[in-house]
Amino acid sequence: MDVQALYALRDVAGVPSHPVLFLILGVVTFALHLFAVHVMLGGATLTIRGAFSRDQNWRRLANAMLSTAKVAVSVAVVLGVAPLLFVQVIYDPFWYTSNVLSAWWVIGFILILCVAYLLVYVFYGKNEDFTKAKTRCPGSMILSLALFILVGLIMHALTNQMLSPDEWMSWYAPEGKIDASGTQLHSINWARFAFMILLAAPVTGAWLYGYRHYISVRADSESEYLNFLSDLASKMMLVGGIATLAVGAVWMATLPENQASFASNPLMILTALILLALALLPKVLGAKINQGITGYLVVLAALVGVLVVGVDREVIRWFALVVDAGYNPMDYPINMDWYSTILFFVTFAVIGGLACGYLLTVAWQAGHTEGVYTPSAAVTRMGNWTIYAIAIWIVHFFALGFWVWMQ
Amino acid sequence: MEMLGLYPVWFEPTLGSGWIIGIIATIHVLFSHTSVGAALVFAYLAVVAYRQDRPELLDYIRRYGLFLLVFSYVLGSITGPGIWFSTTVGSPRGISALIHSFVWKWATEWVFFVIEVIGVYMIVYLVNKVDQKTHLRISIIFGLASYTTMLIIIGILSFMLVPGKEAWYTEGGYLNGFYGANTFAQLAMRTAFMFTMTAVVGGIVASSIKDSAFRKEMVRRLAVLGLVATAAGLGLFQWYLTTIPETAELVMQNRLPEYFTPALIGVMGGIFAYFLSTLIAPNWLKPAVASVMTVLILIFGLWPEEVARESIRKPYVAGGYVYSNQVIGRDVPGLGIKSEVETIEDHGFMNSLVFLPENLREITPENKLEVGHALALNTCSNCHSLTDTGIRPLTNYFGADSSESDIASYLRAALSTGTTLYMPQIPLQQDEATALAAYIRNLKQQTETVAQQNADPVTLTQASN
Repeated sequence: MDVQALYALRDVAGVPSHPVLFLILGVVTFALHLFAVHVMLGGATLTIRGAFSRDQNWRRLANAMLSTAKVAVSVAVVLGVAPLLFVQVIYDPFWYTSNVLSAWWVIGFILILCVAYLLVYVFYGKNEDFTKAKTRCPGSMILSLALFILVGLIMHALTNQMLSPDEWMSWYAPEGKIDASGTQLHSINWARFAFMILLAAPVTGAWLYGYRHYISVRADSESEYLNFLSDLASKMMLVGGIATLAVGAVWMATLPENQASFASNPLMILTALILLALALLPKVLGAKINQGITGYLVVLAALVGVLVVGVDREVIRWFALVVDAGYNPMDYPINMDWYSTILFFVTFAVIGGLACGYLLTVAWQAGHTEGVYTPSAAVTRMGNWTIYAIAIWIVHFFALGFWVWMQ
Repeated sequence: MEMLGLYPVWFEPTLGSGWIIGIIATIHVLFSHTSVGAALVFAYLAVVAYRQDRPELLDYIRRYGLFLLVFSYVLGSITGPGIWFSTTVGSPRGISALIHSFVWKWATEWVFFVIEVIGVYMIVYLVNKVDQKTHLRISIIFGLASYTTMLIIIGILSFMLVPGKEAWYTEGGYLNGFYGANTFAQLAMRTAFMFTMTAVVGGIVASSIKDSAFRKEMVRRLAVLGLVATAAGLGLFQWYLTTIPETAELVMQNRLPEYFTPALIGVMGGIFAYFLSTLIAPNWLKPAVASVMTVLILIFGLWPEEVARESIRKPYVAGGYVYSNQVIGRDVPGLGIKSEVETIEDHGFMNSLVFLPENLREITPENKLEVGHALALNTCSNCHSLTDTGIRPLTNYFGADSSESDIASYLRAALSTGTTLYMPQIPLQQDEATALAAYIRNLKQQTETVAQQNADPVTLTQASN
């Protein structure tokens, strides 16, 4: 598609801050979203594996992973909102076109995600404790996982279609006849999709190390179960990590022409090395991986790995859209709006920091405590400050609003 | 070539994209309003539980919260972005206009949304696992964060109808777009009705409480909340009506179906009767009754409200400058936005559309119907179905004896000049009007033929012959 046409599709209102802010926020929040998706997919897979096993360790793990997957879906959804917002700001011509061309799949995405999520709750409702009762209604969880992968495929196709503006007209009007039905997914890169899904294995392996450490400090933890977790996590990181790298190599070898330069980019080599290091981490660290807070550091390492993949994804997009198609999101006209820009960052840092800090600390500590947990004075203070901060935010909202209204 | 930045069109023949957006939005409003109202009710109940040492109230919070986890935080949290998705495919430039003016406000809402989601899990799963004061603190944080998400979204919803201040058009600026009389009137009205929904949905959980005395108390508390909220909502609705633009008022008077006002009165009467009944005879309320009431509110309360909200924005879809057919319909010097109507007048649609097969740029007798189809997709289909089902079917607006030239004359006279109140100005060139008219005439004939066939079913004897 002609670059002039791409620019014509841009929103006429411009953007309220420099586009680079949206680019950075988009990459970071996408990586966090992807990490939650991986934990959800891995957690759901381990739940199914454990629910079909007679081994008590597996069944106990299924309990934990079902709860993990349930929460991870929520986290993935809530974190996914942010990159969805930012992609519309600077890549609007590409995102909107891609969506409209597969409109029924976009609507399907919402419905399928709702069903998949509800099925997790169906399975959860039917199985209170795998260690005490037989597994009931396993089909719901299997179907749920299959549907989660399907929504992943839809999202992959929408993202992939963005990268091929030259194909859009042939998808919209094949042989010159307009097809406005939106019933087709037009572009799937199976190797790329498989890479993104398989990455769930090493990431969930790392997550298991974190989980292992979290429960190891509790009085009811058993060494047999802890060793089981450690072995499983090690296998998932090594085998899953190598498999992911292999599929990643296929992806790089089959990159479309407008993205092919990325295969020889130093960032690709760096990514491969980082993912290889992640896969080998349990072997390199040996027994040390179960000592101190190393388990948590492994989770952090996995997060870094996912972040690098998020950066790669953005660089590939850059090759396709900026280098090849000639569209530069950084020259988006700016209608600077200082108030809303500053308000977001202050809210994010102060209220987001305080609230998440307080809530997650309480949740964390309560999980470690037998009986009723009472926070320390410092943690309680953080809770009180959170309330004051949100209250001040609300007062500011009304005060400023009334003042503007009365002008 | 002067380009018009219109996206490809998605046309859904059965319901129409507008109704699909409406269905998702309506469902989301039920989930989201219920959850915000419930969050504030939880904070209140947690205070009472703490001050009066009533742990059963915390148990109610836990049970209602667990219900909300599925009801609002599974379905609500997905249908929220679902509105983005559906408007993306149904009205890409409409949602884009909102995103580009309010991206930071949405991002700010996202921060509170994250807090809200963490909060709901904690108030459900940490009852009796943290001390009561801590649970109270979490409930307050959850309630405040939840309400803040509403504060933010209301300003954006108001902007869809009309920017907060007229000055937004000339000066731009987020504050001018966000704050105005309609913002506060709508916020107040929605806050009231949000408690109505909370009271109805809360009845599903309250009516299943085993302890008879406590069940009665909770059902009555919810009934009082529902009565007060609905009465306040009605009053605030009157205030809201005084803040809508004159054009919206005219559309309301002329374009909404005749049954709208009596139906609204009927719905409100039904809600009052429901809460009065549960106040007087709380044992009467059963989970099934409350569930049916929830569905009734969804169908007879929220759906018409969402349809009316969509209708009164016409001919615009966002900010009073993006037409429902995605064309920029007026200048917004404050943001450097120029109306695209002039471009279309000068160059025509067929020479300006980005997504148009090259073989349709020049209109010939052979491609006239296809050009008409492309024009109908781009200029009409957002509000008018091109089939005989769905949203305001296009063929319903032309008589059976309207000729192609009659239709073309109407298009050139009424639409090209923008003299129809609720319709965008669609400045068709003469040959474009003729092509569109030919397509509409053809569509009309097809519809009539199908109707004729349905009216004269083939009999058994005819079939055997």
